[in-house]
Amino acid sequence: MSYFKKAVGVAAAACLTVGVMSSAALAQAKASIVSFNGPAGEAYIGRFIKGIKETAELKGFDIKVFENQFNQAEQDQQVQQVLAAGQLPDVFIWWPSDATAGLGSLRALHKTGVPVLKINQLPNEQDKQYIFGYAGPDDRLRARNAGYMMREAAAAKKAAGGTSFNVIALSYPHSYGGYGLSINAFKEAIAGSDLKIIGDVDEGFGQANGYKGAAKLIASVKDQGIDFVYGMDDAILTGGINALEEAGYKMGEDVIAVGTVCNGDKQLIEEGKQFGTTLQSPLHEGQLAIKLVEEYLETGKLANYINFTPNPAVTKDTIETTALRGYDGKLYGISELCSGAW
Amino acid sequence: MNANAPAVSRQAKTPTWLANLVDKYTWLVVTLVALFVLTFAYGMITAPNFLTWFNFKTIIRDAALVGIMAIGLTFVTLSGNFFLLSMKETAALAIIAFATAMSAGYGFEISFLFTMGVAVIAGALQGVLIGLGGNPIVVTLGAAGLFFGVASWWSENLVISFRRPHGAEWLGSGSFLGLPNITVAFILIAIVAELVLRYTTFGRQVYLIGSNRAAGKATGHENFSMAIKTCIIASSCSAFVAIAFSAQVSSAHVNYFSSSFGSSGDMTILVIATVMVAGNSIMGGFGSTLRSSLGAVFISTVDNMMVLHGFNSGPRVLAVGLMIVFSIIVFALVRRGSRVQE
Repeated sequence: MSYFKKAVGVAAAACLTVGVMSSAALAQAKASIVSFNGPAGEAYIGRFIKGIKETAELKGFDIKVFENQFNQAEQDQQVQQVLAAGQLPDVFIWWPSDATAGLGSLRALHKTGVPVLKINQLPNEQDKQYIFGYAGPDDRLRARNAGYMMREAAAAKKAAGGTSFNVIALSYPHSYGGYGLSINAFKEAIAGSDLKIIGDVDEGFGQANGYKGAAKLIASVKDQGIDFVYGMDDAILTGGINALEEAGYKMGEDVIAVGTVCNGDKQLIEEGKQFGTTLQSPLHEGQLAIKLVEEYLETGKLANYINFTPNPAVTKDTIETTALRGYDGKLYGISELCSGAW
Repeated sequence: MNANAPAVSRQAKTPTWLANLVDKYTWLVVTLVALFVLTFAYGMITAPNFLTWFNFKTIIRDAALVGIMAIGLTFVTLSGNFFLLSMKETAALAIIAFATAMSAGYGFEISFLFTMGVAVIAGALQGVLIGLGGNPIVVTLGAAGLFFGVASWWSENLVISFRRPHGAEWLGSGSFLGLPNITVAFILIAIVAELVLRYTTFGRQVYLIGSNRAAGKATGHENFSMAIKTCIIASSCSAFVAIAFSAQVSSAHVNYFSSSFGSSGDMTILVIATVMVAGNSIMGGFGSTLRSSLGAVFISTVDNMMVLHGFNSGPRVLAVGLMIVFSIIVFALVRRGSRVQE
């Protein structure tokens, strides 16, 4: 019995100590942040969450992350729960599952008077009045850089005597907002060159859909000849490369592949099967978000309303030397910046 | 004599084969099927490059992964245990198991056996619970969360990759007599599964328990062991698909089978749709794995045709959905007609 009493005493003391320490830690936190975003189970978002959490800790912010399973209704419910709890943070980070459907929740967050930073999806006319800034990728720059890379590859092919420059595009679903931005920027980048898009398929996201879409598109345009493939992201492109190889094409020789986002397979670039990609780092995106929160809390405004993460081109020649300095001051290599099999 | 004359005249005008068809299936069914066949034939003839050997291979290859999973699930459905709503999550767990073993350098054979072992445990666990009287829908919903959670935790939500050459390329991207090995595997599994169902004691037990559980029990065939066996078969098929896909892309992530967008949609739903579109009875006892295999090819064909006609993902999802609904209605009418005749 006495042992039991001692154990209870020790446990109570431990709880009290932990509680006091936690309170002290909270008291020391410069500010509190609540982030609404997708699930950590998705590779890209997983790294984004890592970025915001680590940087927030570094800057002394207290952060709570609410993940939804790509479900706006679930995210709306989380917003209501946070608002109902009554303990408002100093800043909200808002990565809507669906920017249009989530407008009501964004408005509700704005009404509390707590500033809101939007992430990943560019502000539109409807929601820009509710946010103090944006941090995230530049779909257009990313696609444009991919187009420039393909131009470079096409020029090299032409110099070597190549005469055919047909391109197939493995796209995001055409209903997805990033599709229009990406395909238009890509088309602008290749305009005036010998490159010509002969097919565009939108099977869906990920390797499996990339494979399926490419396989069907190959059957459709094989007769015209396929010389280049543009993957709207590397995961889709990885599946597409599998389909092209299965159809008998020799990647890097018969067909030149260019992707973006660096969420595919590093080995494909090392082997020369993929000409290159444009970097889009979720870790940077998370770090940038916290940097902007800090800037806003200190100055009451942002120097720039729109803040893009960098999208440098990465090829076989630069893959080992590409590095970016994070907003936490550390230097990150390609394996830490990318989100696929890197 | 005069009263019978018009009937004789109508009979004389209707070909015998059509009269027999109408007699067996009713005018409604025959008309619906005829309309469908005409639409389908029109689509096939007018789709550019549809009727080519290359495209035929593309269709079968496209159907292979879903088809293999559907074959496994058919055993569960035929035995009267409805569906496993955990097909996708079992594949997620299996792909993480396989890639983890491969990346640790265990080689293809050991990684394969390890993964199949995981799948057997996953299937047996669900089978035991269903066999003990648990509702298959509820049990497998719970199992889905459990498997996905374990896979996410195990992989830390990261992409697990293994460098080529890794000894699994033959399955992922190899070919035999011009057919991708995954296609060959699909054909072999379809044949073996059908033979097992038709010509083995186990196969007959599946139909017996599925069509009349009480009769099965009276003859000493309990659903307990049947549920375990069929769930193990379904899980093993999921695991095989996961292994084949991982071998193809040399990596794994828990979300590889969870695409939120695109014409594939949710893998589990697509697999269930494949089983249903083929006319297998949801209540068990009627159907076959051959039907499910053809169902997978049918869905793949419709989708392929739409791509060749230049449709993007939205109309393709709609078309595939309509075809599934149409097939279910026709098969329901046919079965109702059969019961009326009985």
